[in-house]
Amino acid sequence: MGNKKLITIAMSLFLASSALAGCSGGNNSKNSGAPASDAPASSEEAVSTEPVTFTYYNFQSRGKDVMASETTIGKKLQEQTGVDFKLEYLVGEADTKAGVMIASGDYPDLIAPEDQIDKLMDAEAFIPLDELIEEHGPNIKRVYGPYFDKFRHTDGKMYILPYSANQGYIGDPNISQGAFWMQRSVLKEFGYPQLKTLDEYFDLIRQYKAKYPQVDGKDTIGFAVFAPADTFYNVQNAAMHLAGFPNDGGVTIDLETHEAKVVAGTDNIQKPWIKKLSEINAEGLFDAESFVMNKDQFMAKVTSGRLLGYFAYNWQIGEATNNLKAADIDEKRYAPLPIVYSADIKDQYVDPPAFVNNRGVGISVDAKDPVRLIKYIDNLLQEENQILVQWGEKDVTYSVDENGRYFLNEEQQKNRDDTNFKLSYGFQYFEYGWPRYGSNSLLTDGNSYGVGNQPEVAAAGFTEGDKTLLEAFGATTFSDYFSDPDDRPWYPAWSINLGQGTPEQIFSQKSDDLQKKYLPKMILESPSSFDALWNEYMGEFNKLDKATYEATMTQKVQDRIAGKW
Amino acid sequence: MEKHTEPVIQTSRGAVTAQTSGLQLFLKRLVQQKVLVLMSVPFLLWLFVFKYVPLWGWLTAFQNFKPHKSFSEQKWVGFDQFKILFSDESFYRILRNTFVMSSIKLVLGFVTAITLAILLNELRNIIFKRVVQTISYLPHFISWVVAASIVTTVLSSEGIINVLFMKLGLIDGPVLWLGKGEYFWGILGITEVWKDVGWNTIIYLAAMSTIDPSQYEAAEIDGANRFQRIWSITLPGLKPVIVILLIMNLGHILEAGFEPQYLLGNGMTADYSDNLEIFVLKWGMEQSNFSLATAAGMFKTVVSFVFLVSANTIAKKMGEARLY
Amino acid sequence: MSKSSAARSRYNSLQDRIFDTLNIIFMLCLVVVTLYPFLNMLAVSLNDANDAVRGGIHVLPRMLTWENYEYVFGEATIFHSMFISGARAVIGTIVSVFCTAMLAYTVSRQEFVLKKFVTIAFIMTMYFSGGLIPNYLLIRDLGMLNTFEVYIIPGLIGVFNMIVIRSFIEGLPEGILESARIDGAGEFITFIRVVLPLTVPALATVSLFVAVGQWNSWFDVFLYNSSNIDLSTLQYELMKILQTTNTSNSSQSAADAFAGAQGGVTAVTPASIRATMTIVASVPIIIVYPFLQKYFVKGMTVGGVKG
Repeated sequence: MGNKKLITIAMSLFLASSALAGCSGGNNSKNSGAPASDAPASSEEAVSTEPVTFTYYNFQSRGKDVMASETTIGKKLQEQTGVDFKLEYLVGEADTKAGVMIASGDYPDLIAPEDQIDKLMDAEAFIPLDELIEEHGPNIKRVYGPYFDKFRHTDGKMYILPYSANQGYIGDPNISQGAFWMQRSVLKEFGYPQLKTLDEYFDLIRQYKAKYPQVDGKDTIGFAVFAPADTFYNVQNAAMHLAGFPNDGGVTIDLETHEAKVVAGTDNIQKPWIKKLSEINAEGLFDAESFVMNKDQFMAKVTSGRLLGYFAYNWQIGEATNNLKAADIDEKRYAPLPIVYSADIKDQYVDPPAFVNNRGVGISVDAKDPVRLIKYIDNLLQEENQILVQWGEKDVTYSVDENGRYFLNEEQQKNRDDTNFKLSYGFQYFEYGWPRYGSNSLLTDGNSYGVGNQPEVAAAGFTEGDKTLLEAFGATTFSDYFSDPDDRPWYPAWSINLGQGTPEQIFSQKSDDLQKKYLPKMILESPSSFDALWNEYMGEFNKLDKATYEATMTQKVQDRIAGKW
Repeated sequence: MEKHTEPVIQTSRGAVTAQTSGLQLFLKRLVQQKVLVLMSVPFLLWLFVFKYVPLWGWLTAFQNFKPHKSFSEQKWVGFDQFKILFSDESFYRILRNTFVMSSIKLVLGFVTAITLAILLNELRNIIFKRVVQTISYLPHFISWVVAASIVTTVLSSEGIINVLFMKLGLIDGPVLWLGKGEYFWGILGITEVWKDVGWNTIIYLAAMSTIDPSQYEAAEIDGANRFQRIWSITLPGLKPVIVILLIMNLGHILEAGFEPQYLLGNGMTADYSDNLEIFVLKWGMEQSNFSLATAAGMFKTVVSFVFLVSANTIAKKMGEARLY
Repeated sequence: MSKSSAARSRYNSLQDRIFDTLNIIFMLCLVVVTLYPFLNMLAVSLNDANDAVRGGIHVLPRMLTWENYEYVFGEATIFHSMFISGARAVIGTIVSVFCTAMLAYTVSRQEFVLKKFVTIAFIMTMYFSGGLIPNYLLIRDLGMLNTFEVYIIPGLIGVFNMIVIRSFIEGLPEGILESARIDGAGEFITFIRVVLPLTVPALATVSLFVAVGQWNSWFDVFLYNSSNIDLSTLQYELMKILQTTNTSNSSQSAADAFAGAQGGVTAVTPASIRATMTIVASVPIIIVYPFLQKYFVKGMTVGGVKG
């Protein structure tokens, strides 16, 4: 009896307090929203170089939390502006962090939202930058001016400054993206043939494996795709590349009609690739563990010398390629190859100049002094400071030859490779994650903006084996023997925002789930059951709303071409 | 409740006037037991603040909750979130997976932990016993990322399991253990046992320490053998703890965890490995649909209570220890 | 009669010996299976990180090095965070176990008028949660963000632990509590003087659970104290190191489309750091455990009281 009463009291108290808690939760962000936009006008005269500290939060774990002034670069920027930053990076779950940040309405001054951008935009966490740039941002205008229309929000205002505003263009000399990789001993064995088609590629692997069925006493592995659940897109994307398309993210876009077509379930793009894998699996050339191994296991295979070829993105397995390079056994290293279905297809492995409009940095509604922040950013975008964040100081972290070309001497290169140096100097914190030139930019003096893209730096990094290989292929760099990317003004289509919980987004999730389920099955079961499985897969796939998805993607691509990003 | 307390009160307090009303009686006892009240009510307040106040969050299950908006600005959507949950074609498969996986975990977990505790208890050498016990609980401290990696290695085509099974002639060629949905539950169950069996024995070992040793002596004199002693002394001694833990864990029947499924599962096993938590992650958190996660949480709570109350009632009927 | 009992005891001893042998063999297998992951972590943590990428390391390092440990302990914050973790574990365990035991005692008393209400109110909370955001807002509104208390207060009572202690108290031989009360001890004194000493195995068990939870926790740091480095815990700092290693090793991700600097040859890899942090974080617990084990010795409590 007493219980009931107590429960009633408890319930009413709980309801009262819940209402209170609910209100206080929301109010906060509202309060903070208003004053921010007034700030520029009122604090105009107050702007000075008097010391101030702001907070910076990045939704990616790029470094340890540190005061910017504790790094060499941060210190120099502080001397110029008086501004210091408390730099914080994500630890743990980004979704959770974003949710909590939004719910509490307590935002850091500057935020690099990374993949949480939609949530933060939705929560109106950023202030529009248009007026601030107009008044205080001559350098911002110079760098971002040509791109302004590409990163306006649906309301026509700019909220973040993206990372990829290229100034001029220089390609990456190395292949850091996806490719069909082949162990160099295979290429060497057959006199460095110029492989073009998938059949030629597998044929070489077949011959080599027949000749050398074992490596160091263990069975040779023909070919693997690094495709466990979280990198399954490797097996999906390979088909796109084979058909001569760059990675537009699950769709191919026709160069003429600009029509977006879903790759999944296509008879001409996905089917031949899966069917081919099923055939080589029956021959014993395919590594069935492709879909179950984790990264450590894949890297162990790559470094074992037993794996003859694989498809993966190079940045996925940096430790393995580093290990091979350090081991200095050239034949065990891998060469990227621009493989396509048939010789008449032009390969498109190298990314076209891209403008990624949904990754960048924005000023939050809680920012204490947006004018100081925008001025800091503007100062950062001065060319000399852009050189500072990428190359550092002349004669300290980089050298200049008599022709004005930048290069790294041995010690400078060593420092570059040393994470601890990169942290203490500040490259790790400043070379990315801030408003900047795009990575493929050229400086006004003709040197590359990104250190890795400077031909001199790349060439100095080539081993003897690299040089032999490049000579045999008649190329000066690795990207040299890949086709140049075609002009694709919408690129990359994968950055198109489909919105949360929309039919397009549900299609994309469900289609992924279906592919994850069926593609490995088709590959691993005997080729005789391939057609039946393919039909079953298509039966399921046709239930999804592909038409809406394609229509939306086509529309968005056309919008982008028309300059409406 | 009243029934329960009556006899004790009467013995200690003599005749309680029968004419006092229930409330008066309640208050009177409250005063009499003021020390006990003081020892527990502060914690009730704590409980209310930290556990019950946040329950306002449940209301968000009926909203399209946007964390930046104030409570009054939220859009109410009724049972839409529940509809997303229950109308998804994969929901019932996911529910099945969740039930099966947590049932396996429950049954295997109990049987193995109790067995191991008893076997440890039967070891004569105290040092050996302690060493084994300490080592057996080590895997508990290995993160799932590491544990999953070890399992994948052990089950790889050149891993020890395939090599062993091939030597024994059980299989002709290497089996892709993690690529077959039918094996997933078994692999998961064994992995969970391996990781936590040692840790789970701790509570049973502690419970055994309260069994009166003279009972064993008496049984020995009566000529009872090892198994008889285990059967008639150790197990009955553990029964209350076992029953209580069982009831509590039955309440967690929809919590199968998500890390091992996420790390060991893949597209080929998804039909068996996807569970409620992965579903919520995929359709809730990743798409910042906080309301869906809350709705799923409420659904879990309802199921939990059903199981909890049933288990407790059954225990009560059977005259066993019970939770409340 | 004496003959038959002798025969039986001999039969028993043979059976016993078989049982003991099998039991020991089983335990040795168990030791192998459960020790392996730990030895494997130890070997990887002591092995050159770049070499470890090749795999194939089991229980012995191939290229011995202290580099991974130097890297982890090179972080100035590690020692302070260890201190915080230790403080959490000690203070949190003492406070929580005492409070939980006290509550458990009250709900173990059959005549306590609020027994059922309190029990049910607590048990229910094991099966629901208002969700992450309401919890966060509560802590914020209580002014507990960036405080040490947030490690102790919100998790003050473990319901599971309360039930464990309660069932131990209920399992105590009848009469012990009764006789204490007849001696005139009040409820609180009974609890301190009689109940606590008698439930040592349960308290030791629960202390272990709480201490391990406190020592390993990072989520509350992440949620409530992430911007206060002075209150950071070991696990959280280790996670930071791990995640930094992760990104610096693959300095580019697909979403970045970042073709600038290439990942350098670092001395550490995520795998080696993960192994090292497993060892660093779990060794203290492993050292503490044997000290608790003595409280699990068979028959200690009851025998002690009766004697």
